[in-house]
Amino acid sequence: MLAFSVFAAAKVGFSLGAFGDVFTRPNPVARGLKNIRWGEMFSQRSRNAFLETLYLAVLGTLGGILLALPLSLWSTRIGNPYRIPRMILRAFNNVIRAFPDLLWAGLFVLGVGIGALPGFLALTFFSCAVMSKLTADTLDGIDLGPVEAANAAGAGHTQMLRTAIVPQILPAFSSFALYSFELNLRASVVLGFVGAGGIGQRLNFFRERGRLEAYEQMWGLVVMFFLVVFVVERLSVAIRRRLV
Amino acid sequence: MIRFENASVTYRGGVSAMKGLDLEIGDGEFVVIVGLSGAGKSTLIRAINGLVPLTDGQLTVNGHDVRSLNRKGMRALRGEIGMIFQGFNLVDRTTVLKNVLMGRLHEVPTWRTLLGLYPEADVQIAARALQRVEILDKAHVRASNLSGGQRQRVGIARALAQEPTIVLADEPVASLDPPTSHVVMKYLQQISRELGITTIVNLHFLDLATAYADRIIGLRAGELVFDGPGEAADENVFRDIYGRSLTADDTMAKQAAL
Amino acid sequence: MSSSASTQRPAGARVELPSKALDTFRLGLSTVVVAAVVWSWWSLDIKWGRLAAAPERMFRLARTMFSDLEWDKLGHLLGQMWASISMAWIGTLIGAVFALPLAFLAAENLVGRPVAWITRQFFNVIRAVPEIVLAMVFIPVFGLHPMAGVLAIGIHSIGSLGKLCYEIVEGIDRGPIEAADAVGASRIQRLRWAVVPQVAPELTSFMLYRFEINIRASAVLGVVGAGGIGTDLTEAIRFKEYGTAGLALIVVVVGTIAVDIVSGAVRRRIVAGPGGTSRGRRVDPTPELPDALAP
Repeated sequence: MLAFSVFAAAKVGFSLGAFGDVFTRPNPVARGLKNIRWGEMFSQRSRNAFLETLYLAVLGTLGGILLALPLSLWSTRIGNPYRIPRMILRAFNNVIRAFPDLLWAGLFVLGVGIGALPGFLALTFFSCAVMSKLTADTLDGIDLGPVEAANAAGAGHTQMLRTAIVPQILPAFSSFALYSFELNLRASVVLGFVGAGGIGQRLNFFRERGRLEAYEQMWGLVVMFFLVVFVVERLSVAIRRRLV
Repeated sequence: MIRFENASVTYRGGVSAMKGLDLEIGDGEFVVIVGLSGAGKSTLIRAINGLVPLTDGQLTVNGHDVRSLNRKGMRALRGEIGMIFQGFNLVDRTTVLKNVLMGRLHEVPTWRTLLGLYPEADVQIAARALQRVEILDKAHVRASNLSGGQRQRVGIARALAQEPTIVLADEPVASLDPPTSHVVMKYLQQISRELGITTIVNLHFLDLATAYADRIIGLRAGELVFDGPGEAADENVFRDIYGRSLTADDTMAKQAAL
Repeated sequence: MSSSASTQRPAGARVELPSKALDTFRLGLSTVVVAAVVWSWWSLDIKWGRLAAAPERMFRLARTMFSDLEWDKLGHLLGQMWASISMAWIGTLIGAVFALPLAFLAAENLVGRPVAWITRQFFNVIRAVPEIVLAMVFIPVFGLHPMAGVLAIGIHSIGSLGKLCYEIVEGIDRGPIEAADAVGASRIQRLRWAVVPQVAPELTSFMLYRFEINIRASAVLGVVGAGGIGTDLTEAIRFKEYGTAGLALIVVVVGTIAVDIVSGAVRRRIVAGPGGTSRGRRVDPTPELPDALAP
């Protein structure tokens, strides 16, 4: 591990001296932090962008749920007795987990153009990846008794999944969905950087302006946004505690 | 009617759990199967509804040749056969009623199952089943909030809700205390008599077997070694079946006294 | 089949089920969720018709990107991926180096409550800001250079790892600590001999877990120009060099999966101890839930 670190450091052009630079070199972006302009949050365009971010997070999570539930069920042995499709789905799962959220956004922007649609698609696939991994782990630990009972009663495969397995994972799955929503909310901040909608577009706008006042406005937006995220997270923790 | 003809089950790895079994069980009979662990009781019971496939021989259940059934046929057959488990096999997180409704799955279309919209007629059947085991008042209680005996009663109700012609019970009272075990066995006996359901029960407590069985079947190492009316089974018979002298573990009353 | 069975039974009178109690929590929650979904659907300005066309367009995109891979760029791209991996690694190291001592300051069983609370809030704040936003702060200092990314990842990781660390530190066994005290060890010695050996395996495991996450972040930081393979990907897209973009994408995905596998294997080994198995032990920390102000 140590050798690896040395190589890595060299590659990156690391230098301890650079640390000092952080504090000495003029940094207009950071200075913008000092005099945050709070007003920006309430401008019409920013407000719309902010709401768009929220809607994207909600719908993206929903899309993720719709994809993740069948996907995770069908990648386990109990949900999918056929070996080859199961392996394929597992591999698919692993691949989509490797995509960072912005990458999804970039790809979809390329494919369907800019706007909110690529943002929605990106968050859908991103949260699907997150939820299906967590759900698959949970599925490894479920009680198979009800499964045997359902089969012995003559239930079809889908019926068995719905009555014997889904009720067992539902609390955990809901918890994952809420967690995914939080992740999506944060991710949606940056989606705009590649044009996929939301408040990121406004942030990018200010960033590219390059002037001090612009930075101050930008930070205003950022801070306000994260205050909201903070509130959402508190609520989410409380709800999740009740769920499980 | 259930008929085994020279039936055998050999598991992968060579373990032979059923060797050339010839057995016929008529409609409405109440049969108890006894034998040591590993003697093949579980295998016999699970062969009847196809959970364990035969490797040789023939098995006819209600006129169907079990070995030749396709998936659809198997589902239909299992719909006619209710099963009760030692571990109850209930979905702990859902209500009693929802658990019992699982017995109606073979009749209810899949889309209704997915949405949880069971037809009123099926709900009534489930309710009547609950009534029969006298647990209707707990219909909306979570299964995990019930005692062991109550849970097994729900298991019985679930099997009953299938409106089965055959009920299989795999060690239904092994996890229950003596008084509760008697309650459960009484229910099974009553149901079998009143509704004319063929009932096959695996037990390892001999006093329970003699108390409730019309007919006792003894298995040893996968082979049938005794088949006779409950009264004919005394200690000597059991010693034969078990291949050793009886211990306190073999009767519920004596074990409870321990 | 059921008809033959039901003629055996007397048709019963209608059975009345007991009434169902109303679960207000679930009802309320479901209503809120449904309302949120409906509202969002209605308000979001998406032409849903485009959704139907999307799969086809994505396939076309995939074909453009993958049909004509620029294999001669492979060397350069691999180098860039290596840069991203290094970036993530150093960032994780920085995170670990600073997080660990700070975590001790956040553990209530080692310092007082107010100090712990302040440190925790510090962790929460720097955790909340995504790496990209942090990177924006560092770019003016370092230019479009990986160092900006390293620091962005590093600082964010301090927050993440800090939280994981202090939770572990709080969960340790008091026994060895008391034993150390009884022998008269100094504070530092107590730390070194009683605390560190207990927490080292789990901490390393978490560090590697964080590394896996940081890989994804570092790949993406290139969007704002902080170096690594993200810059190549963004540029390729901007200049419509689809072949390069496709190859870069493959490099990123394969690289990330490779790191995941290696890191996962090492983590399993650490959790299990030499020669053991990790069956039944949680290898991944429970999902990072930023519960600010958690007691």
